[in-house]
Amino acid sequence: MAIVKMSKLSLIGLESDKEKILDILMNMGVVEISESLEKLSSEEWKDLVVQDGDSEKVAILDDKINKVKWAIEYLSKFSSKKKGLFSEKRCIDKNEYNMTIQNIDKLSSIVESIHKYNDQLAYLKSEKNKYANLILSLEPWQQLTIPLNVTSTLTTTILIGIVPHTSTSDRLKEDLISEAPESYFELISSDGQQNYILVIYHNSCEENILKVLKRYNFSKVVFKELEGTVKSNIDRAQKNITRIDKECEKVEKEVSEFAKYKDDLEILHDHLLIERDRVKVLDNLLKTSRVFYLEGWFPSELGEKLKTKINSQVECFLEITEPDKDEDFPILLKNKKLVQPFEAITEMYSLPSTKDVDPTFLMAPFYCFFFGMMVSDAAYGIVMALITGIILLKYKLQGTMGKMIKLLFFCGISTVAWGAMFGGWFGDILPLISGGKLNIPPIWFNPLDNPMKLLIWSMVFGGVHLFTGMGIKAYMLIKEEKIFDAIFDIGSWYILLIGVALLLVGGTPAQVGKYMAIVGAAMLVLTQGRDSKNIIKRLLSGVLSLYNITGYLSDVLSYSRLLALGLGTGVIASVINTLGTLFGLNPLGIIILIIVFIIGHTFNLAINALGAYVHTSRLQYVEFFGKFYEGGGKRFEPFKKNTKYITLNDKEAV
Amino acid sequence: MDWIAYLFNGNFLALAGAALAVILAGIGSAKGVGLVGEAAAGLVTEDPKKFGQTLLLQALPGTQGIYGLLTAFVILNKIGIVGGNYVELTTQQGFYFLAASLPIAFVGLFSAINQGRAAAAGIGIIAKRPEELSKAIMYAAMVETYAVLALLASILMVTGIKL
Repeated sequence: MAIVKMSKLSLIGLESDKEKILDILMNMGVVEISESLEKLSSEEWKDLVVQDGDSEKVAILDDKINKVKWAIEYLSKFSSKKKGLFSEKRCIDKNEYNMTIQNIDKLSSIVESIHKYNDQLAYLKSEKNKYANLILSLEPWQQLTIPLNVTSTLTTTILIGIVPHTSTSDRLKEDLISEAPESYFELISSDGQQNYILVIYHNSCEENILKVLKRYNFSKVVFKELEGTVKSNIDRAQKNITRIDKECEKVEKEVSEFAKYKDDLEILHDHLLIERDRVKVLDNLLKTSRVFYLEGWFPSELGEKLKTKINSQVECFLEITEPDKDEDFPILLKNKKLVQPFEAITEMYSLPSTKDVDPTFLMAPFYCFFFGMMVSDAAYGIVMALITGIILLKYKLQGTMGKMIKLLFFCGISTVAWGAMFGGWFGDILPLISGGKLNIPPIWFNPLDNPMKLLIWSMVFGGVHLFTGMGIKAYMLIKEEKIFDAIFDIGSWYILLIGVALLLVGGTPAQVGKYMAIVGAAMLVLTQGRDSKNIIKRLLSGVLSLYNITGYLSDVLSYSRLLALGLGTGVIASVINTLGTLFGLNPLGIIILIIVFIIGHTFNLAINALGAYVHTSRLQYVEFFGKFYEGGGKRFEPFKKNTKYITLNDKEAV
Repeated sequence: MDWIAYLFNGNFLALAGAALAVILAGIGSAKGVGLVGEAAAGLVTEDPKKFGQTLLLQALPGTQGIYGLLTAFVILNKIGIVGGNYVELTTQQGFYFLAASLPIAFVGLFSAINQGRAAAAGIGIIAKRPEELSKAIMYAAMVETYAVLALLASILMVTGIKL
């Protein structure tokens, strides 16, 4: 129910046993092998050992993994299986895994051929593009009957080219004939921008012709390496395209044959991944020519188990030590099942440092409570709990995603409770369509009728939240045996703040509150400067510390968002309901009501759940964590079989 | 000079307040959401899979517009334009409603734009470290606090006006 205690493992073994020991550790999956590089710089060690590691092999394996991954993604195009909303890892038992891995050469060759086929497809596609472009450029010349490779006869020159559409071809023709009568002009075709023309002229009048053509911005078109008429060329290209299409189809069909190996490839991928991790971890080891040294962290409670397991299989020197007081160890959170989902919120902020308390179990009830209050519609809560509940039943989700869904489930239940308290069931839909006959009255009160009351309550809840945070700080101080700090820094604020709150209540409590506030303030003034020796400086910083009360004020006011967001949900819901019932309760009106109801409430639920998530998190991070939490811990990442697609059904794992 | 009388008509002033809340907060949200959308589109051209994440960030500056509408609705409800029981307001009451709409109108306008900026910067976080999405959301959400406070002020004022 907190941060798991870690112990340090140091192990020296024979180089020949290294693989075996790493295997044991990987199968157990409870030891994080940490870098022992700092030893390299210590006087005692640096002459004896060198860093282990095989970066070349890691690179080769990484390359292989990428190739397999690419092939899997490529094949998933052909897979008819629909991908679910949440991807689950397949469960594979050891036999199947071993069988598949025996065929590793075959699978590797499949990956290679998928890559080869893909290269082939890419080549075919570029070929196809080439022909398509050729057709495009030939199309305007379709009417030209002179073969393209004929550009001259004995005494004449044949020219084809384009002129901008702005100059009319008639004018060009006239000019040509008047300036060079020994020529022939033909307009082949014309589109919006260009005229495609053919000019044949006697070589003797070349100069004149070119002059005229230049005036009309003529540019010459040459089709290199093409023979025969335009039409025959286009036909040929089209034939080529159909041939390529057929070939593509054939190749694709051949690739799709491989689709059935996708599952095996996934196993291969994870196998390579495990292999890679095993080689990569060597970077963290030190070695001499005969022995190696390994250092790591593991949960203390597993110490005996780890020791016997390793000692029973190999001979090596093994030492388990507790961390020094100031030594940072990797952080693993362990909470009761109900609280576990809220670890996601803590992790999102930052893992606790080794000196922190795991705040999750204290934060969890507040998180639920505030979330429900912000959404505050019982029907929305039911919808949320139902959807997340179904997802939880249908998929076995792990990691942050699973935690978030569970968290939303709990928050949904809390929302139902708060919705019932405030009497919101899809806003005010029930009284609205039943003409006031059907009405679920709020258990507590309707916040729209008396927002001030809820505002005050919001701040009271906020106060409790803040005091809890300060309490944790006091607890931490006491644990560090700084009892006076706890009394002066936290206790005096407790007295002062409670006093101020009582003052606001009025009546007899105000009398008590007055004295409490005075005592608290006096304690602060007298104690807050206790670090400095100068007595005037002490008093001055004591007085200045009173200014912090503005901080507490703004913290408490921040909880007014509980009211604002709760009101928001209710009001938007009633806007939707009002819009829906605008057309009355006739058949058409009811259809409109249903449409508006579904779209509107889905939208409202989504936007408010997002808002509630964001603002509840903020209340935890800024107001609550700000009182005591440091964070900055490093996540515990044990050396184990990390997989992407499959989970190994392996009894050896702990 | 009829129109001056209309201008100081209580109901007109209340409606003007409701309109201001919707208009200004809505403009702010439109601008803010637009800003994030522009940034997000750039990222999605590179990596279409991140559409969902970016959409979440884009939704954040949209709330101010909703708050504006909400305030307007509370005003309209109170003076009976929605839901029957039309109330004739005095000029003084009209000004009260107008004043009550101002917090969400102006804070909504500026906070939505600034929230949009913070969220657009958060798109960068999604681009490089998609697992840190929630931190990007938190930065944008810090801005929203003030819109929530303004909404609260507006609603408290409106519900507090005696008719």
